[in-house]
Amino acid sequence: MGNFSVITISREIESLGDEVASRLAKVLGYELIDRSRWMELLREFSLPSEPPEEDREREKWIESVGNLLAQLAEKRAFVLLGRGGQRLLAQCPRAFHLLVVAPVPLRVHRIMKRYRQDEVTASRILAEQDRHRERFLLRYFGVDWRNPLHYHFVLNTAFYDVEESCQLVLEAMRRTRVPSVGHQESFFPESVAFSHPSEEEFAKILDFYGIRWLYEPRVFPLEWDSEGNVIEAFTPDFYLPDFDLFVEITTQKQKLTWRKNRKIRKLKELYPEVKVKVIYARDYAHILRKFNLERNHD
Amino acid sequence: MTDPRLGVRVFTREDIRKRVSEVARQIERDYTEKRPVIVAILRGAVYFAVDLTRALSIPFDLDFMALSPFRPGLRRAEIEKDVDTDLQGRHVLILEDIVDTGLTLNFLVRNLERRLPKSVRVCTFLNCPARRIVDVEVHYFCFEIPDIYVVGYGLDFRGDFRNLEEVYSLYDPSGRSTQLLKEMGKGR
Repeated sequence: MGNFSVITISREIESLGDEVASRLAKVLGYELIDRSRWMELLREFSLPSEPPEEDREREKWIESVGNLLAQLAEKRAFVLLGRGGQRLLAQCPRAFHLLVVAPVPLRVHRIMKRYRQDEVTASRILAEQDRHRERFLLRYFGVDWRNPLHYHFVLNTAFYDVEESCQLVLEAMRRTRVPSVGHQESFFPESVAFSHPSEEEFAKILDFYGIRWLYEPRVFPLEWDSEGNVIEAFTPDFYLPDFDLFVEITTQKQKLTWRKNRKIRKLKELYPEVKVKVIYARDYAHILRKFNLERNHD
Repeated sequence: MTDPRLGVRVFTREDIRKRVSEVARQIERDYTEKRPVIVAILRGAVYFAVDLTRALSIPFDLDFMALSPFRPGLRRAEIEKDVDTDLQGRHVLILEDIVDTGLTLNFLVRNLERRLPKSVRVCTFLNCPARRIVDVEVHYFCFEIPDIYVVGYGLDFRGDFRNLEEVYSLYDPSGRSTQLLKEMGKGR
């Protein structure tokens, strides 16, 4: 189907995502990788079927499983149901990422019908399962999985039955092209080469609180020679677009920061509209203490 | 207090009682006939929440929220304990123990605003603008402190000192905290 040999399907509980997955696999002749097939597959490659609890082990697991799936995507076509597939294959150009949703009342109704439960029980089941899924993806993959920008296509099955849904997905796959500017919002930005570990740590803290950042996106010329060539410039470490704020981190001792302070003074003179926050060693020590990162710096 | 980790007493029981009562009067004025939902952030704000709400004479609903603490392997903050109250159309007042970097509070405000309340305001026991990284609006606070580490009245150091009834600085061998405290008229 076009350039896509893989479809990952993320779905809300009772959104018909499972039915759409089965039908798409059948129509396209793709292998359906559901939970049981997933467990078999990972067993074949001697990998645990669930992400490990321990952070470093989990990182390794995500990388290994991602590589395994990307290699499989080169050889065969499959529909991957759930399992964080949208994250594991986020960078795979052969994967089409689909999110299937439906309104809460409709999903409650489907649970009531399927499991013969009253509305209260069905609502409770739905809330528990939604929370469980949200936590699983957030905890293990760091994914706000309902963010539509992580997907090529979002389908609301309130308006379409399974057959119509599949037709829409197939049409979307046929018509999907690589955008001229930027790809779909990736779960993780391209890896950034930070020049200091403190910057990487700070970026993780910002990610943790969902604060968007850009790393060294702008160079501010501070001084020019007689021919107009820039002879001194300043590049703050971060820009936080939501706050229109540049952040500079310096872990040097205060008395050694005079050169940087001079640059920042100049920056403020030349660009008075620019907001800059400097995080000095003392402030940084406070951040480490606040976020329990001190032990990494013993 | 004889624990060597403690420095100067910054706020006495009487200071705290007086300011909590003053802030309660401000809140009463602003929330007359509004029945706010007071959302205390666990765990630090518990002591402040108890004293502040007892000092209020207006009706309100009290609820609690807890956020997962930062740890390197956890990529995004999680709501570990969510409010039980439906916040749509309600006036929400967040109670914090301290607002310093603004990162946690910014996350909380964004999260609560998504639930379509009529308003979201912030009341904190301590405000430390010197450590602010991102701008957040603090509507009520009991005390503003300089860039020092304090404990007591809900604020902890590695889990200790939360239950102190008064607020102390943490002992700072560099003498910097003592200097800053002197500037605010505190200290020995």
